[in-house]
Amino acid sequence: MNVDIQSLGTFNQLAHEGAKQATQSLAQMTGIDATVDITKITLLDRDDVGEDLEGRDFVGVQFDYEGVLEGDTVLVFDAESTDTIADSMMPGASEDPGMAQSAVKEIGNIMMSGFIDGWADYLDSTIDHSPPQYIEKSGAEVLPSAPEADDHRQVFVFKSEIEWVGESVNFYIYMLPEYEPLADAMVESVDTEGDAIPIDKLQTFNEMTTNGTQQAADNVEMMTGIPTDAEVTQISFAPIEDVPKQIGTDTYVGTVVEFTGVPSGYLMVLFDEVSAVNVAEAMMPVEMDGDELTEQHEAAIEELGNIMTSGFVDGWANVLQTSVDHTPPKLVHDMGRSIVDPLAAQVGQHQEHAFIIDSKMQTDEIEFSAEIHALPNEQELRAALDDLDVERADKTEADVEQIFE
Amino acid sequence: MPDVLIADDSEFMRNLLREILEEDHTIVGEVENGVEAVEVYKEQTPDLVMMDIVMPIRDGIEATSEIKSSNPSANVIMCTSVGQEEKMKEAVKAGADGYITKPFQKPSVMEAIEDVVPS
Repeated sequence: MNVDIQSLGTFNQLAHEGAKQATQSLAQMTGIDATVDITKITLLDRDDVGEDLEGRDFVGVQFDYEGVLEGDTVLVFDAESTDTIADSMMPGASEDPGMAQSAVKEIGNIMMSGFIDGWADYLDSTIDHSPPQYIEKSGAEVLPSAPEADDHRQVFVFKSEIEWVGESVNFYIYMLPEYEPLADAMVESVDTEGDAIPIDKLQTFNEMTTNGTQQAADNVEMMTGIPTDAEVTQISFAPIEDVPKQIGTDTYVGTVVEFTGVPSGYLMVLFDEVSAVNVAEAMMPVEMDGDELTEQHEAAIEELGNIMTSGFVDGWANVLQTSVDHTPPKLVHDMGRSIVDPLAAQVGQHQEHAFIIDSKMQTDEIEFSAEIHALPNEQELRAALDDLDVERADKTEADVEQIFE
Repeated sequence: MPDVLIADDSEFMRNLLREILEEDHTIVGEVENGVEAVEVYKEQTPDLVMMDIVMPIRDGIEATSEIKSSNPSANVIMCTSVGQEEKMKEAVKAGADGYITKPFQKPSVMEAIEDVVPS
């Protein structure tokens, strides 16, 4: 199966339009404005689906659907928002648990019907869905099982986030289509073959990135003594304007580098503020200056960012038998979106959508987590994947002794 | 004790290397880019240069190439986070005598130095 940029763009737009339709239904029912915050298509390992939901309780509805696309979909929100949502539909509904549940089912039914109908209309076919099933679960359990496919460990997940304006309520739509019908639908929606990426190469690249994340995690462990595990690694595809929203509004400390070669782009290594302090102190025991990071802390983080960046991209270069240069790391300390905005603007000069490569790592020993985000140039990533020899995917490390013999 | 020049744009890494080396070596200079590395090398002609690759103004491979052109018997060990085969080959072509990838521990640094500048 080949996935081309055009069909990914089209399917992303479709998911966005579906979410917009769901949003309009929500506004009509409740009178409260809502906006589609993020829509993205992500390719990730089946076991990692829903990692971003960990530690939270959710309420919502689940459907299965069949037709030109098959699979499962859910619309969920944080459990603590149930009363707000139920009361917005019928004042006082939250006082009766049965009524509140019914309200949730109905809002889910109407929103998701709009979402699914939009897909069917675009694909000029029909998609039937089951009646809504009320769900109340924690973390990734709220999501349906990822579709099984013997030869594919990785799955496509369509995710949309809808924000209720003026209320701290967010709706999350997850759509997990079966592989084969999705592949067929993508192929049929393609006009050109020129920019197609074979899906096995995209999956291989994702695996290489997982290795790169593990290398970066090993480097952290070696420099700090903190045992660090690579967590989720995924490739997402989203409109450029949605990229900064994905990083969120939390404050981060970290580094940004521009990398050149095939592919070129930008790479960020970001720590939340507590993690930044912890990791810097593990590298270099120095006293904090009040609540502020000292120059020594910043120097330590800068060098760690440099080493993690290399750990991450060296594998790409070695497998592709090329070199990927990067600039010296630039220290950043700002709100996530503000860090990403200028980088997305740069990348957006040449493309409307972006592949975003996201990796996370963490440790249980102290409060520490780090994120790596890469924004490659779309055309160059495609060229790199074109050159990728899947058989060489495990050749991520160079043998320095052999080269310097 | 052998004289060593440290070229790395990271203050953290210069400090770390100094701590590892100063017991058995004389640190004759610490510089932050490839241009300064070449200048200080020509002034001091140390026994060994520990050279980072990714540095502003001029990278470590270009600086190594110039140092080796001016003095083919100069000893340069690349000391870098870059673990790419193509970069290692470029370093060999520039004349580098050794290559250590960050992060490193003291034994691997001492072993690389011993290979290049035997005590």
